[in-house]
Amino acid sequence: MSTVFGWTYDKHNKNHRMFRKMVIAVTSLVCFMFAWWDISVLANSAAIPTPIDTWNALVNLINEGDTITGRSVWDYIGSSMKTYLSGFGLALLVAIPLGLVIGYFAVVEEFATPVIEILRPIAPIAWAPIFILAIDYTIGPILVVFIGIFFPLLTNVVFGVKEIDTKLIDAARTLGASSSQVFTKVMIPSAVPYIMNGVKIGLGIGWMCIVAAELYAPQLGGIGFYLNEQATAGFWPAAFAAIAIIAVLGLLTTGLAEVIHKKLVNRVGMTSA
Amino acid sequence: MPEDNNNRIEEGSVFLEIDHLRKVYITDESQTVAIEDLTLDIKKGELISIVGPSGCGKTTILRMIAGLLEPTSGTITIGGKECSEPGSDRGMVFQDFALFPWRTVRKNVEFGMEVAGVPKEERRERAEKYIELVGLKDFADSRVHELSGGMKQRVGIARAFVNHPDVILMDEPFGALDAQTRNLMQAQLVRILEKTEQTIIFITHSVEEAVFLSDRVVILTKRPATIKEVIDIPWPRPRDRAGPEFVALRKRILEELEKENVMNG
Ligand SMILES: Nc1ncnc2c1ncn2[C@@H]1O[C@H](COP(=O)(O)OP(=O)(O)OP(=O)(O)O)[C@@H](O)[C@H]1O
Ligand SMILES: [Mg+2]
Repeated sequence: MSTVFGWTYDKHNKNHRMFRKMVIAVTSLVCFMFAWWDISVLANSAAIPTPIDTWNALVNLINEGDTITGRSVWDYIGSSMKTYLSGFGLALLVAIPLGLVIGYFAVVEEFATPVIEILRPIAPIAWAPIFILAIDYTIGPILVVFIGIFFPLLTNVVFGVKEIDTKLIDAARTLGASSSQVFTKVMIPSAVPYIMNGVKIGLGIGWMCIVAAELYAPQLGGIGFYLNEQATAGFWPAAFAAIAIIAVLGLLTTGLAEVIHKKLVNRVGMTSA
Repeated sequence: MPEDNNNRIEEGSVFLEIDHLRKVYITDESQTVAIEDLTLDIKKGELISIVGPSGCGKTTILRMIAGLLEPTSGTITIGGKECSEPGSDRGMVFQDFALFPWRTVRKNVEFGMEVAGVPKEERRERAEKYIELVGLKDFADSRVHELSGGMKQRVGIARAFVNHPDVILMDEPFGALDAQTRNLMQAQLVRILEKTEQTIIFITHSVEEAVFLSDRVVILTKRPATIKEVIDIPWPRPRDRAGPEFVALRKRILEELEKENVMNG
């Protein structure tokens, strides 16, 4: 226990721990705001608006929408969310089963590795013009998000399957489990913490991809498009407001993933990955 | 006891035959002969211990019986059927427990029945009985990581026994436990054996444990392992660890092992 300003902190008290966390987080954000403010004033450039200007632009965007295009902030967010969630869902659907199979069957791994190693280093955004031209402007950005999330997720799932304690497989087999039962009842549950880790990493990368991909697909009218539009027109506070919205969306998705992770880990009874 | 696989074979008759077993581990750099010409018959309902110098090949033998490892030559058969694949007729108890951490105690014990497609009700009932038998009734719905080492191994024992396999293979099952817990576990295993007549092959580093539990003790030579001597222990259980017979036999086995270790250099 320690005493700060006459207040006694007890680390075994959940409320105390939460309060401590919040105080530190708020302090961090306040420091960040001051740093931003300082830089904005020192740089004295229109391209770096102050937090207050950004806040006003944000409030304005939320209340009035985009007065030029006549679209509301929710249209922009909705469009981006649609692309983001589609790409994310697709990545889950493909990377998890594929990762489990690659991790489990040596032949599949040997077959898939060369192709994966060729494709992995390519920046997801490099695909944007290709996909958008070759397919179309709705599916293209979805595929960019998909690729961004796919590789880190796949790597984590494969790793999770390989990290499995082989004793558990032996135990299952001597208890009469068939290969497919070993797969569903041992491999998958023990890979869950690793899968969730990959999901969390992928969610962040997904946001990076979407903003970039939307630059190539103005027809979609996502938040990345709005950002680019405002920046090009020199409406810097509005551009910063778009960045703030992306940051909040990113925080929300990773926060949600964190909650799901905790629930799942609790359910499968593992302390950590 | 529900329908028991073992009932087909008469108590005391030979049913697990290890015949001229040999195992060579081949790696890129070297060949290790782990087992050399090992022949042994195991009788229905007996507890047979295997003791031998460290690294002589005890685990190798057990894994081959389990079907987790293929013999280089020779055969292992149960009731005439070769043990080439793992199966629920040969249960295993591991030194480091190997429990499924995402399952509760009950769900761990039910695993074998679950994969065999035993109906839920029956599964529950049978698991309940064995959880009670190993004294974990109050922990049936606990997570594995909430249990002590001794409790974990009792789950491991219940999980193997509940399936009534022809034989249970135990590889230093109490090796990870402290001395006191170990003695308690041995006593509990003796009590369980009174009720189940389960055939057990038991590997241990502790000669005292072997003499306390076994109907027979197999002493292996240093690697490559083969049988040095088989000792019958026809005494009733539970046994008195301090009794003169017990102490004398323990000393004799220790001396035999000592000789192997000396030759090991
Ligand atoms: N997969 C393997 N590849 C190569 N050599 C192996 C392998 N597994 C075991 N060995 C070797 O075979 C020999 C016997 O190993 P084994 O684990 O069966 O001995 P053990 O009697 O169980 O040892 P311990 O007393 O330490 O439990 C050892 O020399 C070991 O190094
Ligand atoms: Mg061993």
